[in-house]
Amino acid sequence: MANSSESSTRAASLESFLAKIYVDENARKDFLGDPFGEAIRAGLSARDARALEQIDRTGLELAAASFARKKQKRDCRQRHK
Amino acid sequence: MTATDDRFGIGWRPELALGILANLDRIDVVEVVADDFFGATKSERGSLATLAAQVPITLHGVSLGMASANSVDRVRLDKMSRLVNELSPIFWSEHLAFVRGGGLEIGHLAAPPRTADTVYGTLANLERARIATGSAPLVENIATLIDPPASDMDEAAWVSQVIGGSGSDLLLDLHNLYANSVNFGFDAVDYIDRLPAERIRAIHIAGGRWIGRPGEKRLLDDHLHRVPELVYDLLDCVSARAPHPLTVVLERDGDYPSIDVLLSELDRAREALESGRQKRSGAAHG
Repeated sequence: MANSSESSTRAASLESFLAKIYVDENARKDFLGDPFGEAIRAGLSARDARALEQIDRTGLELAAASFARKKQKRDCRQRHK
Repeated sequence: MTATDDRFGIGWRPELALGILANLDRIDVVEVVADDFFGATKSERGSLATLAAQVPITLHGVSLGMASANSVDRVRLDKMSRLVNELSPIFWSEHLAFVRGGGLEIGHLAAPPRTADTVYGTLANLERARIATGSAPLVENIATLIDPPASDMDEAAWVSQVIGGSGSDLLLDLHNLYANSVNFGFDAVDYIDRLPAERIRAIHIAGGRWIGRPGEKRLLDDHLHRVPELVYDLLDCVSARAPHPLTVVLERDGDYPSIDVLLSELDRAREALESGRQKRSGAAHG
């Protein structure tokens, strides 16, 4: 399966953006206020920015809360090892 | 194919250790979370080797970040490789998830956008993992509370492309599948029908709970509750289609009931799998 370095870089940028809005509450708030604008300012393509305008908002909030709980639980377990 | 070719086991957790070790006549395999032993002392690794000498084990990874456009974490991969070589598990496995990006650790398993780019990145990472460890990992479908944005294919198509393009077989987590099907409105049986049945080698079963506001509820795969009956129905369905022996592992991560309760869940899994096998056998001879 062929893939260009340009499309790999674009996919990696999208993952980085998703990681940020999953873990950073302020970034998530800014994003939800202006999804397209925040995505473009982060350097994402117009295509990905348009896709992010349609993001599953309920899922985003629930997933972010779940990730935070998991991270807290894991950090706590590591501290007590 | 006989039912005795299939294996049934439980995820290894310190809280369950005594119960597991006291019931090895009813437990065929133990799944160990590899990441818990990446920083283990020599003594802890010795204990793990002792466990592996008593019961077949599988190693399960949670932090490599296999389904990513970024390269899999090399340091963690080397640690996984060391464990695989030390313990000779039946197989090792990782999730089809990304877990970090832009220098940030997400803290858990995130579903990648389902695109050709992430299929490509995942295949490259699976090849790196195969070379590093000497064996292709099984890959597990994950539960997600968010429909991954910027996707241009559905989950069954994405997973099938990864399996089809790699040497990795599938660890099909039936509660993850069930949760995603109810959260995003697709038919779990249709999903199973679209997978390459001959590539399904292992199964996870677990329970979860509903979260969220009324009208926006989603099923969370938290491994803290009993396995719902619908998951056993899916196990029946898979075993009616999968031609190879299956390793079925019950995952439980807290609110631990007595070991007898967990063993009864394994017995229920045996019944469901046997029911599916009989349907497969009946179809073959009918």
